[in-house]
Amino acid sequence: MKPVGMCRMCLVEVEGVRGFPPACTTPVTDGMVVRTRTDAVEKIQEGVLEFLLINHPLDCPVCDRGGECPLQDQTLAFGPGESRFVEEKRHYEKPIPLSNMILLDRERCIQCARCTRFAEEIAGDPLIDFVSRGDRTQVLNFAEQPFESYFSGNTVQICPVGALLARHYRFKARPWDLATAETSCTTCSVHCRGAVQSSSNRIVRLLGVDLDPVNHGWLCDKGRYGIDWVHADDRVREPHLRVGGELREVSWPEALDAAAGEIRKVLRMHGPGAIAVLGGARGTNEDAYAWARLAKGVIGTDHVDCQMGDGLPAEVVLGVRRAEIDDCDRAGAIVVLGPDPREEVPVLFLRLRRAAKDLGVPLFDCTPVGGSLAPYAAHVARRVPGEPVGADVVELAARTARERGGPLVVVAGRPSVAEAPDATVRSIAAFGALDGVDVRVLSALRRGNVHGALEMGLAPGFLPGRVTLDAGREWFTQRWGGVPAGRGLDADGILRAAAEGRVHVLVLLGADPLLDHPDALLARRALEGVPFVVAVDAFRSESAARADVFLPCTVWGEQNGTVTNLEGRVQRVARRVAPEGTAMDDWRIASELAYRLGADFDLATVDEVTDEIAAVAPAALGATAALVRRARDGVVLPLREHLGEIVVRTRGLSILAEEGAGTSWDPIRAGGAAPAGAPAASGEPAPRTRRRRPVPARTRRRPRTRSSTRTPRASAPPTRPRCTSGTVRQAGPPRPRVTRTLCAS
Amino acid sequence: MGRLSGFLVTLRQYGKKVTTEFPKEKAPRPARRHGRHVLNRYEDGMEKCIGCELCAGVCPARCIYVRGADNPPDQPVSPGERYGFVYEINYLRCIHCDLCVEACPTEAITETKLFEFSFTNRNDAIYTKDELLVGDDGRARRLPWELWLGGEDDDTSEWMRVTSPSGDASYEGRVSWSGELGFGVRPPEKGQAQD
Repeated sequence: MKPVGMCRMCLVEVEGVRGFPPACTTPVTDGMVVRTRTDAVEKIQEGVLEFLLINHPLDCPVCDRGGECPLQDQTLAFGPGESRFVEEKRHYEKPIPLSNMILLDRERCIQCARCTRFAEEIAGDPLIDFVSRGDRTQVLNFAEQPFESYFSGNTVQICPVGALLARHYRFKARPWDLATAETSCTTCSVHCRGAVQSSSNRIVRLLGVDLDPVNHGWLCDKGRYGIDWVHADDRVREPHLRVGGELREVSWPEALDAAAGEIRKVLRMHGPGAIAVLGGARGTNEDAYAWARLAKGVIGTDHVDCQMGDGLPAEVVLGVRRAEIDDCDRAGAIVVLGPDPREEVPVLFLRLRRAAKDLGVPLFDCTPVGGSLAPYAAHVARRVPGEPVGADVVELAARTARERGGPLVVVAGRPSVAEAPDATVRSIAAFGALDGVDVRVLSALRRGNVHGALEMGLAPGFLPGRVTLDAGREWFTQRWGGVPAGRGLDADGILRAAAEGRVHVLVLLGADPLLDHPDALLARRALEGVPFVVAVDAFRSESAARADVFLPCTVWGEQNGTVTNLEGRVQRVARRVAPEGTAMDDWRIASELAYRLGADFDLATVDEVTDEIAAVAPAALGATAALVRRARDGVVLPLREHLGEIVVRTRGLSILAEEGAGTSWDPIRAGGAAPAGAPAASGEPAPRTRRRRPVPARTRRRPRTRSSTRTPRASAPPTRPRCTSGTVRQAGPPRPRVTRTLCAS
Repeated sequence: MGRLSGFLVTLRQYGKKVTTEFPKEKAPRPARRHGRHVLNRYEDGMEKCIGCELCAGVCPARCIYVRGADNPPDQPVSPGERYGFVYEINYLRCIHCDLCVEACPTEAITETKLFEFSFTNRNDAIYTKDELLVGDDGRARRLPWELWLGGEDDDTSEWMRVTSPSGDASYEGRVSWSGELGFGVRPPEKGQAQD
């Protein structure tokens, strides 16, 4: 926000300048001498504070800000001990609603204009402004137009007094009885940094924390105020087992034994292909990893999908060269293919808006339906729903990016679930085929930790660390004891197979296909066709209510771990409150089930899971719990310092344009040499698109005894044998196909 | 006399009453003894507590639990926006230091002189707002398990008035404490102005 010098608290003395200019609006010049604590300045600051307090009510004991109020702090530090004003203060009606969520206490307002400036400059929703003059100056919304901004909660956080209040938090707690933990919001896939605060083991507030590469301190209202569900009354707090058609509360061992027993039975009678796992994008990376290991390494099924037919294929998300959010600021051009960022990834919208409006990056709005970015777009090119972006737009964007000299950032997600992902994938491919432009993709998927789940292998054909089944077969067989024989089905396929009676055990990891899958009828038939459903969930959703075994899991705020956002940034989420009931972490449930199926994960704490991921998953190599804890901004995978230990190769994403029907992309192939002219991996920072081969197998076999089943940790030998592309070359595709390489370099 | 002088001491005590027959009677209490708390009300019956949690914040034993809530506009519990929705003191923890009384911005919480507590289970030791709030006569509610004999609830706000404001006992000037249900504006203490 631009400085305006409204509150006058920063008046200073500048040598050679008459009067006392406010520091915030006075640019620094060469040889300037500024004095901040002379007698005159102190007297003036004291006077300013006395003025600010003329009409400020002394209701600190009932004010939500009391105890964390900048005005209180300033008064204590620089203010006069007593006021000389004995007159009656200005009175207004106590809080008036600006919107359903925001209340305004005009008596407390000191007219600093932080809220109005935020609404106009940052959020682009100028719905509040000053009215009247003199001591009647007040902030108000316009008549019959409430302050309904998706970002209105930020004004409450930046208000230096208790003038703007959140209805949600009002009178819930006082600052001194709040316990705070820094965490990331996992409502959408942006993962804004925040501080979750609890009082008496209840989460009461989430505040934005300034993480420069991600959220700049802002949160959207959905993330900020959507926290009540953690303590909702309808949380399932105990495990349940269906006995005689009724879900009955049972003990954990009973429920786990029942689930494991059924899985074992189905494995014996129908093989691993009769077991499918849906969901997993809700938890942490550790949860996703443990479930991937259970499903793929222990059970041996590849019918695993964390997306519910509403995202992009894993090959695309994991295969493209990934952009960082910061790339938008220095981009040559930004192309938004959909969805509307303000609806699905709100804080990314703030960053895109800033890039387009304040930093002058040309933005191409290619969403099928006009969205929030249209006013800031340099070019609006509506595409027909279901059709890829026109070649002229691609060319124009490429030319713009080339001229401006920066990467071309493509924000890609599903514009709507009614539309097949083909159009988006083909659009990405069209940009990927461009020459001489550094194309990077931000995949705007809608589920909280969907990128983490994809990276951990909760997708058909993939193993943890952005590795395909074929590429990682040897490596993971040695670490896990086995991987699925062939590529499995995605969510659509799983549901279709279930409807046909080919799935005998369906595990729902927080998934609710009845409500969430675009094809609700198919989901209904699928759930009716599955004889045994295991639900790992916190709520009895419509789908989970049909479960035969219900295993209650912990949720955000109750679990430690790491999450991965849409740019591949791994950050820690923190446990702030004790879990409700006897809810267990997902990863612990997975390892308990694995133990009952005869495999010992030997994982005792969540940090051990993180460390195992860092040692096993190639893309996450080196991202140990200790490192992620230390890293202020989280870490973006893959880690630069570990690039020498993993083989980074360019792997093209192929779009089978002519084959037409059905899905039209090809899994990232394991083999294939880097194309000629590609920069060496050890050279400049590795582009995100470059795939890394799993580290070649070490001689050690996966031992069977408990004492040594522990997978290698971060303490693995630093010099791993480097795999050249020649040794991993595989046969090219047998059929002739039109292949376009997504990765520019 | 020599060896009998010791008996003289004994004889001098003879007939004097030294032992109080507690629990039938209680020895007189110092005027400012810290005992069981009360939550005071204004003269019009409104609660003084505004649920600001300053008492809970200052409590060194962490025995006070307060939750505030929005005052119902049609039937306000206390003047202002907020009132104490939940107010609980755990007397197994309370050390009667009176810091809560000092911290209270509205003179809502003060202490009586009742200090005998006996409970048969831990939950009973937690006094709720209903039990702490003064009755309609402005006096502490005499709960069935409590032993009220003398004037333990006579001057519940004494300590607070003595130190008000700024702990200056020789306070001169306007009375700055608020009235109480059943008592009105209490007079200043001995040694203060207005006598």
